[in-house]
Amino acid sequence: MDVILKVEDLWLKKGNKDIIKNFNLDIERHLISVVLGVNGAGKSSLAYVLMGLSGYKPDKGRIFFKNKNITGLSVTKRAKMGMTLAWQTPAGFEGLTVKDYIMIGMKNKSIFAVKDALGSVALDPILYMNRVVDKSLSGGERKRIELAAVYAMHPDLVILDEPDSGIDILSLESVKRLIKGFKMNGSTVLLITHRDEVADIADKAFLMCSGSIIRDGTPGEISDYFKNECNSCNHKGMPEQNLAKEKGGI
Amino acid sequence: MVAKVIDEYAEMMNAYEQSGGKIGEFSNPNVPSIVISGNKVLGKNEVKGLIIEPTPTKDGVDVKITVKSGTKILYPMALCFGVLPKDGTQIINMEAIIEDNAGMNAISHCVFPNARHIIHKMNYDVHIGKHSFFRYEEVHFHGEQGGVEVVPFTSGTVGEGSYFKSTFTLKEGRVGKLDIKYDMDVEKNGKLELYSKVWAKGNDIVNIEEKGNLEGEEARALIKSRVVLQDESHSKVVSVVNARAPYSRGHVDCMEVVQDNAVAEAVPIVGVSNHLAKVTHEAAIGSLDSKEIETLEARGLSEDEAIKVVVGGLLK
Repeated sequence: MDVILKVEDLWLKKGNKDIIKNFNLDIERHLISVVLGVNGAGKSSLAYVLMGLSGYKPDKGRIFFKNKNITGLSVTKRAKMGMTLAWQTPAGFEGLTVKDYIMIGMKNKSIFAVKDALGSVALDPILYMNRVVDKSLSGGERKRIELAAVYAMHPDLVILDEPDSGIDILSLESVKRLIKGFKMNGSTVLLITHRDEVADIADKAFLMCSGSIIRDGTPGEISDYFKNECNSCNHKGMPEQNLAKEKGGI
Repeated sequence: MVAKVIDEYAEMMNAYEQSGGKIGEFSNPNVPSIVISGNKVLGKNEVKGLIIEPTPTKDGVDVKITVKSGTKILYPMALCFGVLPKDGTQIINMEAIIEDNAGMNAISHCVFPNARHIIHKMNYDVHIGKHSFFRYEEVHFHGEQGGVEVVPFTSGTVGEGSYFKSTFTLKEGRVGKLDIKYDMDVEKNGKLELYSKVWAKGNDIVNIEEKGNLEGEEARALIKSRVVLQDESHSKVVSVVNARAPYSRGHVDCMEVVQDNAVAEAVPIVGVSNHLAKVTHEAAIGSLDSKEIETLEARGLSEDEAIKVVVGGLLK
């Protein structure tokens, strides 16, 4: 197995709570892998730890990207190595146009590539290139521009944190097409979501609960388990004894 | 003597270009313009319907600009004010009269490339008639010494159904000491927009006091300030909107970004003396948003590059 991202025994504590614990994950190159979990399972925290954001330095464990230990590296260094993150709720930028924002991460900056990126998220470049990436955009528009920006980077690994949130059901198919487009362009995708209907485009699936991966399998297997067991689970986290049992897998 | 004036003009043009101006504007007969260095008028170009009347004084120049009724000036007027020596005082008293059904855009560049101790006072008296417009943009270019004291004061009236927009930008070089004041009355259906964008560094001091008085029915005002402070700089922004007429509307939007040991203060004052009027305000002071910085870092920018992009956007 050609692993592009390897996570070993990762722990992250916030206050007295273990947000991520005993977390292990192998992400295979050129595939779409999905981490599925209910709200509060620690999925976004995982994305932030992997990207190295401030306040998300792991208490324990190691992260390898392209066989290099990146655990102590800055966000910039990780990005320069070829990984990036699309935030669940992207930041706004006063005074920065959509065109300039998308171009920031592009290796070969070209207006054609900007248009292509906007087209990939079903936004008309003529209408959007000169808009400003601020609160004048709706949440859904901002989200699509975020996806276009990471698409234009041609990253080796893209972490997509809830790419479907804030996007209407009609646009969901275009988001799925975009995720497949990442793969077709040679990128590896780590898709983080709590919606099992998005998970079906993945090649591999992992179920996250209470900060740990408790199952892995095909998207169908993990989605079925998620629908039947996790959605009806009240505590949003698995009791420690069950967690240990579940780690045996399906 | 002639050679000296030509050299002075060339140096003013050079500074004007460094501040982002296009010097070709001063040789285009269709573009109205004026160039003032210290108390000397080095150049002037009038176009049909626009009268420029400069009168040199001891420490500067009094300028009366009149846009005649029914005239819309096609090209923005180019104004270049400045002081080339290291020390000196320049006082510009400018009266701008935009008559009824008239309009003009103007871009003013104030250049002090060698400043060690310069005092630059600008007193604007703006009178906009009925159904007219005046958009005024002032860009400052200072040297890196910080020895400039800039005191612009704008007052006047926006007439019925008219529009006045003023943008003050100082983001190149050191601010020195800036004391900017506006006090504008807005009549029925008139619209006022005031924008201030300043990047303070070193021990710069920035005082901004902007006041819009909504005197006429359905008058509008937007006062927006963006100040980025670093090092040991200080700023105080006082934004005032008084709504005194029915259906008048105003909004104050102030953002100050504080880095290093800088200190910022924002005072929005909103007053309503008519129960059918409404004024809103928002003010934010703090450090740069870490999420914005980290988003750009995740695109491969260094922290310094990311800060430049965010600050550049705020002051754009």
